[in-house]
Amino acid sequence: MAYGFLYDPALGSFELSESHPFKPIRLELTRSLLSELVLLKDAQLTAIETIDEASLAGVHQKRYIDMVKAVSQGQTRAEAYSYGLGTGDNPIFPKMHEAIMGICSATVTAVDKVASGELKRAVNLAGGLHHALADKASGFCVYNDLALGIEHAVKHYGLRVAYVDLDAHHGDGVQWLFYDRAEVMTISLHESGRYLFPGTGYTYELGRHDGRGLSVNVPLEPFSEDDSFVECFEAVVPLALRRFKPDLIVLQAGADMHRYDPLADLALSTRAMAKSYQRISELADELCDGKLVATGGGGYDPYRTVPRAWALLWATVSRQQMPELLPESWRQRWQAQSPETMPEQTFDDVSSWKEIPRRPQIEAQNRATVKRLLATLEPIWRERFG
Amino acid sequence: MLVKNIMTKKVVAIDPEMPIGDVYTLMEQRNIRHFPILEQSEGKSAKLVGIVSDRDIRTVGSDLSAQPEISLKDPVRRVMVQPVMTASPLDPVEESAKVLRTHKIGALPVVENDELVGIVTGIDFLDALVKMTGVEAASRLEIEVADRPNALADLIRAISVRGFSVYSVLTPQKDADSVSFVLRVNTIDGHGLARSLSEDGYNVLWPLPKNNL
Repeated sequence: MAYGFLYDPALGSFELSESHPFKPIRLELTRSLLSELVLLKDAQLTAIETIDEASLAGVHQKRYIDMVKAVSQGQTRAEAYSYGLGTGDNPIFPKMHEAIMGICSATVTAVDKVASGELKRAVNLAGGLHHALADKASGFCVYNDLALGIEHAVKHYGLRVAYVDLDAHHGDGVQWLFYDRAEVMTISLHESGRYLFPGTGYTYELGRHDGRGLSVNVPLEPFSEDDSFVECFEAVVPLALRRFKPDLIVLQAGADMHRYDPLADLALSTRAMAKSYQRISELADELCDGKLVATGGGGYDPYRTVPRAWALLWATVSRQQMPELLPESWRQRWQAQSPETMPEQTFDDVSSWKEIPRRPQIEAQNRATVKRLLATLEPIWRERFG
Repeated sequence: MLVKNIMTKKVVAIDPEMPIGDVYTLMEQRNIRHFPILEQSEGKSAKLVGIVSDRDIRTVGSDLSAQPEISLKDPVRRVMVQPVMTASPLDPVEESAKVLRTHKIGALPVVENDELVGIVTGIDFLDALVKMTGVEAASRLEIEVADRPNALADLIRAISVRGFSVYSVLTPQKDADSVSFVLRVNTIDGHGLARSLSEDGYNVLWPLPKNNL
């Protein structure tokens, strides 16, 4: 069975504004890298099936959708700002509604093909808009493609879905949209909301009503590094997934936990990121017949970091090997426009990085967070799952 | 922020004649620790005559009880606390929080025109405090400014001209000639904003620039 790579040049064709940190060019950087590495040879280039507004309304409020459509067509609306539109983070651009609908359609298609069994797994690197809420744009996200995909799997296939969010920012939109639902577990590892946007994702956000115990948050200290991240991941993610026993895993693989990312304060290398993709892949095999859909997400170091992270993501999901050395021709092609030196290696040479002060305290704090989280969750899980 | 903004409006009130054992069961079932007690009298609206908390009934019927003559079958009237300290919906939350602390109690029924309209507990005040620190999706910036008139106004203007809103301001530190403010600003790119403010001469304490890693 094939692995789907959702791709359409149109998905990366919009730009919020020239100075905006969200750079769609990272998609072309990643695709060109994969193509030069011949890792897309066997990929199923899946056609995107456009979703209708009724499905969009399954997650977003009608008046919000109408507002997005109106401002996308250039109409001025005084209330737009209260919907998070036309803010510094979410500037309005022409055909915004259509552009984001395209991204959402790609994620829903990916989920649909995997849920139906047509594809073994699928990846939509343009997706991962995890901050969008039912009636509000937030953090560069207008519509929530992940929530639409998850809702599709629940509604049309009756699946239990585990959502794992590895973006440096808390996956707040997806969490709140499924906060009281029994069919969806959300797990998010992120830099603590005490320091970073959106300011949520604490260990005490556990879900409520039917969803109690199904919202799992691991807030990490700023400047956390590979070892501490992997330790926290290993302590929480396999345990949570094995308790919940999903039929499908949806992975948001934002690439902004990396040390080079200019928006967040974590300090991971591509090695820990690759490790986490590998573990999710193994857990999908163990728990849900391999069924896995992965998206992109944050990632604001578009030249050096994002292409390596997401090439690793695709290689892992599609069960291929990523070489250690990056192709010279690819580096040369992008060096002309990259503000930094293009990397030569897939994995960072962490020994060349300056040592982080307070490393033992950071590790101890993360360990304490995980301990507190599990102490809260385990009794709830025992009651819930036996 | 006023009491009416944080109170629980759906109050479970009980009758003074309800047996203590039943009150206990109701507390367990509803996961509630405080019940206002309303007395109905013909032709008049119900009157708030007392309040009972889990602490007042916990030991009833056991050897630990200070009043061994009271049993679980007795009406709750016998253990309820009166007179009741109350709040008004228009009281500022900090004022009602002080009442709670002064009397070392856990909840205040909210009364308007002699009618019970809500209840506030210690947890509601804690939630209010959390809310005041900024709940909207926001980045946290800590900035030190000289203590002079307009310092905060200038800082907020500097942020607003860049197209962002400030959702909350806290003052964790005040020195002889400087004040540091913790701001919650509606942007995902706190680093970008910090960089831009530093270039304007602001002393940004958080976030720290990442390029010197």
